[in-house]
Amino acid sequence: MIISVILIPFIAGILVPVIPFGKRWQKELFLEAAVILNSILVWYLLLHHSDSTFLLAHFTGDLNISFRVDGMSMVFAGLVSALWPFATLYAFEYMTKEEHENVFFLFYTLTYGVTLGIALAANLLTMYFFYELLTLVTVPLVMHTLTREAVLASRKYLYYSLGGAAFAFLGLIMVIVYGSTTDFILGGVLDPAKIAGKTNVLLLIYVMAFMGFGVKAAICPFNSWLPQAGVAPTPVTALLHAVAVVKSGAFAIIRLTYYSFGTDFLKGTWAQDVVMAIVMFTIVYGCSRAVKETHIKRRLAYSTISNLSYILFGAVIMTPLGLVGALTHLVFHAVMKISSFFCAGAVMHQTDRHYVHELDGLGYKLPCVFGIFTVSALALMGVPGLAGFISKWNLAQAAVASENPLAWGGVGCLLISALLTAIYMLTIVVRAFFPGKDFDYTTLAGAKDPNWKMLVPLFAFTLFIVLFGVYSQPIVEFFYGVAMGNI
Amino acid sequence: MYCILLSVFFPILSGLFLLIRYRTPLSGKTEGSVRKTLVTLTGLFLIVTALLTLSALLTAKEGFTLFYLTETLTIYFKIDAVGALFSLLAVVVIVCAGFFSFEYMKHEEREGRYYGYYMMVFGVINALCFAGNLITFYLFFELLTLSSMPLVLHNGTKEAVMAGLKYLFYSLCGAYAALFGVYFLYKNSETLTFTAGGVLKASSIAEHGSFLLVVAFIMILGFGVKAGMFPMHAWLPTAHPVAPAPASAVLSAMIVKAGVLALIRVTNLFGADFLRGTWMQTAWICLTLVTIFMGSLLAFREPVLKKRLAYSTVSQLSYILFGLAVMNEDAFTGSLLHVLTHGFVKAVLFLCAGAFIYCTGKTRADELRGIGRRMPLTLWCFTIASLGLIGIPPTGGFVSKWYLALGSLKSGIPVLDVLGPVVLLVSALLTAGYLLPVTLHGFFPGADYAGENLQKQEPSKIMTIPMIIMTILSVIVGLFPNAVVLYMTVIGG
Repeated sequence: MIISVILIPFIAGILVPVIPFGKRWQKELFLEAAVILNSILVWYLLLHHSDSTFLLAHFTGDLNISFRVDGMSMVFAGLVSALWPFATLYAFEYMTKEEHENVFFLFYTLTYGVTLGIALAANLLTMYFFYELLTLVTVPLVMHTLTREAVLASRKYLYYSLGGAAFAFLGLIMVIVYGSTTDFILGGVLDPAKIAGKTNVLLLIYVMAFMGFGVKAAICPFNSWLPQAGVAPTPVTALLHAVAVVKSGAFAIIRLTYYSFGTDFLKGTWAQDVVMAIVMFTIVYGCSRAVKETHIKRRLAYSTISNLSYILFGAVIMTPLGLVGALTHLVFHAVMKISSFFCAGAVMHQTDRHYVHELDGLGYKLPCVFGIFTVSALALMGVPGLAGFISKWNLAQAAVASENPLAWGGVGCLLISALLTAIYMLTIVVRAFFPGKDFDYTTLAGAKDPNWKMLVPLFAFTLFIVLFGVYSQPIVEFFYGVAMGNI
Repeated sequence: MYCILLSVFFPILSGLFLLIRYRTPLSGKTEGSVRKTLVTLTGLFLIVTALLTLSALLTAKEGFTLFYLTETLTIYFKIDAVGALFSLLAVVVIVCAGFFSFEYMKHEEREGRYYGYYMMVFGVINALCFAGNLITFYLFFELLTLSSMPLVLHNGTKEAVMAGLKYLFYSLCGAYAALFGVYFLYKNSETLTFTAGGVLKASSIAEHGSFLLVVAFIMILGFGVKAGMFPMHAWLPTAHPVAPAPASAVLSAMIVKAGVLALIRVTNLFGADFLRGTWMQTAWICLTLVTIFMGSLLAFREPVLKKRLAYSTVSQLSYILFGLAVMNEDAFTGSLLHVLTHGFVKAVLFLCAGAFIYCTGKTRADELRGIGRRMPLTLWCFTIASLGLIGIPPTGGFVSKWYLALGSLKSGIPVLDVLGPVVLLVSALLTAGYLLPVTLHGFFPGADYAGENLQKQEPSKIMTIPMIIMTILSVIVGLFPNAVVLYMTVIGG
């Protein structure tokens, strides 16, 4: 069962170029059906999970490839499987204007399986294996347009990711050597007898592994691949570079911190201070760059950099509450950012405009798209009643409760970042809806809202943004259960 | 309960309706009739909302929770005396300025959008006045910024759009500074529901007392942005004058008061006892005094009438904040009286300035020579309102300044207790200096005045009546301050 949800996307993806589809809608139907079926299976699996571990392959000692459903995997797998069908639907419409669709959908669907592999991995080795695989299957997606820019971007992405994974590998070795097991156990697996006297070395390795996994989570100074990777088609930037890939990085860091090294070992050490300082800097840095950037998708990519560090900020507070904050933002940011990315993509698809200063007056021509964009902008800023407020609230409360002065400073960073978020998001909204007195609307002739395949995902995400904003109790309680190890 | 909800959501929804129904610019043949329906509808909405608000004030005594964002964060409404006072002011100012704009906005584009956001601001202000806890207040505080921004950039020139953005970002900056405080306050207090006398936990005061003072100061700076307090006042003189005159009136008379209301709530949450006599109080008083003096001085040397009035708002608002910062009963009474006085007076002044622009197209104060012969009624309103702001008895400004000075002298804060009234006096002189020349040159243009044309050019009744109503109200506040003072004492007791 657990292995089938990873295999189905593999099979479906590989079949796309193989089966000779007569019409386009047949291919769409096939893919959408496969993805939805898989998502249903995932949710079934999550809701009826048992604690048993599924062993796929056994190497030496206790090194093995195995899968298990625990609280963290439920959060990440649930998130990914909820978003993927919508993103696929959106991609059908978006890709009508792009070439070699089959290759695109092959790798796009493969990525689904690989991401689930990361989410469901039962030990550090399995996660590491799928983590590397994720890099490999997403490189062709970045390279998709085959322009010089895209090739450069994908090469950079490849080098950064592999380099980061190499550092993460160090962490893996340390856990194998000094841990009692490599399985994920909340609270950590380091063996007190083995680590005596080696604390500082282990902390150093933790910081290195943090930075290694942090490459995918785009922490400063390893973030420059992400905005550049924005040359990929929008479904990729929206789903992979705002959710699946980058959040795999954050997910891996949470696994490493809470489930392998353990917060008891790390909390209050210099290592915590170092990683927290890096994260706080990235929060402000990402936003500042977003304000400066004029390309819409790159602006959103910088915003992602900043928001990913919100998640990491929650994680490095290293208290259960901090983990709750991190998980809340992991899920809520996914919905908000994918919504704003899809809006940007819709604008590019409908009008072929890529820069912020080209958006004047479009709010009247694409009212649905820009209405939804406004909602996601307000949510990212953290207006109460929308999802962003709740996740920021949880993060800030965790920071305040941690009694760590550095974390208090982090709350300040969150708010500076909120202001900058307002600046880079609302300038777009104001441009779109208030183009100014002498604006000539005839230049916009022909621009209109996209069709239902693009609008359905957008409306669905908006619904979730509002729903999470006004009624977050059950899901936050669930996160609390995860953080306390009850689930 | 239903009255409160209706008075909040009816105007917001009707505003949304206007926005969607009249989203395209009025054009061509149908313009006249469409405009007539638009104006009638808006007028109807304004009156209905006013009635709903009044009935809410009269009937709703109990607070109620609308819904739970989470178990501890609630959207909670409750009408208390301070909120009721602000709400009354809001109803009068918004309805009067609204009717004024039916005539004034005749030649502007995109009227539908203007009225739509105008109605939304009405609802949001009601919600702010009725908010019963800090979370609800913060929610509507953000919404107020967002819904009033389109009023600022309404005329769509480059200058207006930049001013709108400046307003937006300054306000959000303030809101986020306040949110920083909310995060810490939540952790260290029993509840965020507004209760008299402070909500801080005794254990928190003992443990983090000095840090909480810093938090309080950051919150005051943050909410102070909306009230135009130094050093974050720069948006106000930019944003208020570029809006259409009736919108400037509402911005200056009412929307900035949201910042005042916020500061009243914050000082109550922390508790005056906790803040009194600390470095924070001293710093706050100093900031308000600097703002009072600086605002008056800048107004004094500003030639454009609407800008001059905006600088005057900066200065006058800090009179109110000064009263809050002093933190005793007399000063608080003075503050609330000045909220009323300044609300009516500043609305009248801006509407008069709008009437001058509407009838003659003149924006600079020195161009208004001899205006009293052409628009005597308007200039009389302007004059009476000016006297009120300067504080000449028996107008409202005199009483409020009296209480402010009294409170300051009683407070016993070294140096500042005397310096405060001195600054108030100097500022009053400057106020006279920047307002009275308009009247003087308007009525007495001098012997060499040729009088370009001496016909009566009074604006139509729909513009003059709102001005007259509010002028009368500002005088009433001065003539019968006891009613208000009694009301305040009831709040205090």
